[in-house]
Amino acid sequence: MNARSDLIGPAAPGAAVPATHGRPLLELRAATVRVPGREFGPFDLRLAAGERVAILGPSGAGKSTLLKLMAGERSAAAGSVWLAGDALDGLPLARIARRRAVLPQSHAVAFGMAVELIVGLGRYAIEPDSQRARIVADALVTAHAAHLVGRRFDTLSGGEQARVQLARVMAQLWDVRDALLLVDEPLAALDPGLQIDLLDAVTDYAGQRGHALVAIVHDINQALVGFDRLWLVQEGCLVGDLPAGRSALPRLAELFGVELQWVGDEQHFAVAVRRRSPAGER
Amino acid sequence: MAVNAEVAVGGGARPGPTPAPAVPAAWPLGLGLGAALLLALLGASMTGAVSVQWADWAAWAQAERSGSALVLWELRLPRALLAAAVGAALGLAGALAQGLFRNPLADPGLLGVTSGAVCAVALVLTFFAATAAGLPPAWRPWVLPLAAFGGALAVCFMLDGVARWLMPGSIAGLLLTGLALNALTMAVVGLCTFVADDEQLRSLTFWTLGSLAGASWLVASVLLLALALALWQGARLAQALNALALGESAAAHVGVDVQRLRTRLIVTVALLCGLAVAWCGLIGFIGLMAPHLVRSVVGGDQRAVLPLAALAGALLLLLADTLARTVVIPAEMPVGIITALIGAPVFLLLLRRLALRQGGHA
Repeated sequence: MNARSDLIGPAAPGAAVPATHGRPLLELRAATVRVPGREFGPFDLRLAAGERVAILGPSGAGKSTLLKLMAGERSAAAGSVWLAGDALDGLPLARIARRRAVLPQSHAVAFGMAVELIVGLGRYAIEPDSQRARIVADALVTAHAAHLVGRRFDTLSGGEQARVQLARVMAQLWDVRDALLLVDEPLAALDPGLQIDLLDAVTDYAGQRGHALVAIVHDINQALVGFDRLWLVQEGCLVGDLPAGRSALPRLAELFGVELQWVGDEQHFAVAVRRRSPAGER
Repeated sequence: MAVNAEVAVGGGARPGPTPAPAVPAAWPLGLGLGAALLLALLGASMTGAVSVQWADWAAWAQAERSGSALVLWELRLPRALLAAAVGAALGLAGALAQGLFRNPLADPGLLGVTSGAVCAVALVLTFFAATAAGLPPAWRPWVLPLAAFGGALAVCFMLDGVARWLMPGSIAGLLLTGLALNALTMAVVGLCTFVADDEQLRSLTFWTLGSLAGASWLVASVLLLALALALWQGARLAQALNALALGESAAAHVGVDVQRLRTRLIVTVALLCGLAVAWCGLIGFIGLMAPHLVRSVVGGDQRAVLPLAALAGALLLLLADTLARTVVIPAEMPVGIITALIGAPVFLLLLRRLALRQGGHA
């Protein structure tokens, strides 16, 4: 065992001294997004370091908008967003980049670039960065992408590109604690085995560093297995903020307009999704 | 627990893999292009309507040169250097514009940036000739470069604004906006031609066809200086440009101030295009071909592409100009015609390759 793993350790939530000094890692205060003809929010949310949150909701409900608000890609027309106690608006981008990373939905890269270069770009805000080569290599291993070293990004398959982008985001927050990792529909297009591998990799990575993880998730099973809190979004508003578990099923069933059935015990389970029976219809 | 979190997490003493060279093929290509450029400079100096001897090189220290030595030192060398500098400026401007718009087809010529510069020059020549003549003599040589820079800058900002407003994020929107701006600026140039007198008409033709015949040591050194400035700026922005290739929001998320980067890129591109146009007129397709050739060898890493595109552009334009000077001796062909004759088919091939690649990934 080297010193490194002792220091990171798989910290239990709340065991490590949070760098956020008791302030919430992320806070939304009545934050509202306006686009022509539509309003999202107001969102009031608090997120602590180490939490894992899945955003769920029907298509067009505003999941992406909520994530973009936290990512700073949309600014709040009213209300405010706070990152580790600082208003998001006034923070320099380079400092934000050390506290928050975002894995985008689209993986397109304009020019054919080497895999290591793309992962290294996660370290853009750190100058000088003597650890870059080592962190890039480690992040590639963690994201199940070590075998892609030396390849050109534009020659990779969709699943391989997703792994490389994941490694880039991991490299960005590799050597900080209690940061925020936002993930926009990360795994939707990948095959089930890879989805599980990558979700596990992200969860371990975030857990070891006390990073909070917020992801848009479509699969109810994935949300219940990989996350400990659910934010339910419907018609542009947050309609639920509840712990992930069996007790969430009725709300989820209502949100998606389906019947859900819990199969198995509390540890090993699957949720079966069924169309609502005709009797349940209006 | 007082250990700094960054030290604690990042300070593991584990031997990392030795960092691979950033771009393996970059150095050989750079050295090759550099050597070819030197050879081409030598060749361009030695060939032409008047034959030049090796002995003429010794005349550099003489105050009074005559005959072929004069041709070498006052005509050929400044012209060869100017061709290289303009080619480098256009190649670099192309690479920067392509990085800025995140597309290998974004050539300043196709997007109307250079015709914007020509348009401003034509307006000044036709309508403000009297005003320009009234300026102090020392200022007069800078009127057209300044106008060209202004024209290029205006088109760049319009492109950036209009294309985003029309069709955000779409390359079709960008190219179509460029097409419209090209048509608009060329219409203004046409208007100038319509009202111009005979002498103004001759100057206008020079600018729209593109020629390096106006070379002098002064012009060559100003361009080389601007080029050095732009290369330095490019080196500073290269990694941010790499991040921009990930997408604008992804670049912002790793800490790039995208708006500032865009403004810097636009000013640099406009400076390069404006100066190139001010003294040499419209020379198309170098900004498209040079970065494309380079990327096909070394990939998309802008830290390698920017300097290499400048080298490749220098070599391409020097060869094209030497051809233009020598192919119809004793007359000479405008070099813009040659670059367009070679460049347009290259553009079509590039388009086809992009279409194939996108088709394969869809």
